[in-house]
Amino acid sequence: MKNNIKVERAKNGITQAELARKIQVSRQTINAMELSKYIPSTLLALRLAQIFNTSVGDLFILEESDWD
Amino acid sequence: MIKNYLFHNRYKKIGLIILIPFTIIGLISMFTGFEPSFLSIKVPASFASQLFGEDQLFGMIENNVWNEILGMIIIISSLMVAFSREKNEDEYILKIRLNSLVWAVYLNYDILLIAILFVYNLSFLNVMTLNIFTVLFFFIIRFNWQLNRLNKSLENEK
Repeated sequence: MKNNIKVERAKNGITQAELARKIQVSRQTINAMELSKYIPSTLLALRLAQIFNTSVGDLFILEESDWD
Repeated sequence: MIKNYLFHNRYKKIGLIILIPFTIIGLISMFTGFEPSFLSIKVPASFASQLFGEDQLFGMIENNVWNEILGMIIIISSLMVAFSREKNEDEYILKIRLNSLVWAVYLNYDILLIAILFVYNLSFLNVMTLNIFTVLFFFIIRFNWQLNRLNKSLENEK
């Protein structure tokens, strides 16, 4: 699964630490999500979407391999 | 809500301060057979199978409680170290915690399976004694190693 967290973060001009504070997780979690090492829970995905004023579907993109 | 079964973060340090010296004392006691004689007292027991003498279902038996004291201290302090909340505990840390726990249980029982096959008699009793604690030890080592790796891999923001 790909995601646009890093892009959205750059667009909104916020650091990993600031985003972490806003959605109440550690900076390590933000980093792991940006590197696609961790797929967040629905709750966290919704929080991210709300912070970036976008939809979960625009923030996270399914890939072919996600259907295997 | 998801953190309810974890102790407060401060118990990790307290647990570690207790765990390290008592683990060393426990290992020394185990391999040297050291037991302070003043701790030999009569204790209430159930299912006390005596080496020389009759088995007792319930009753009072003479026992040195040094091993029991050490065992309890090591187990309680291990639980404190293993299951205290991290300062930045969140769902990702919780996932690492769960993965580490599964890994520790597999490793523990892999070692036990090998021990069942290749270790016999009194030596097996030593293995079983150690096995009481090893699952928590393996978890603590694996989880903290993973956390350490995670912190190190935190790439610098551009």
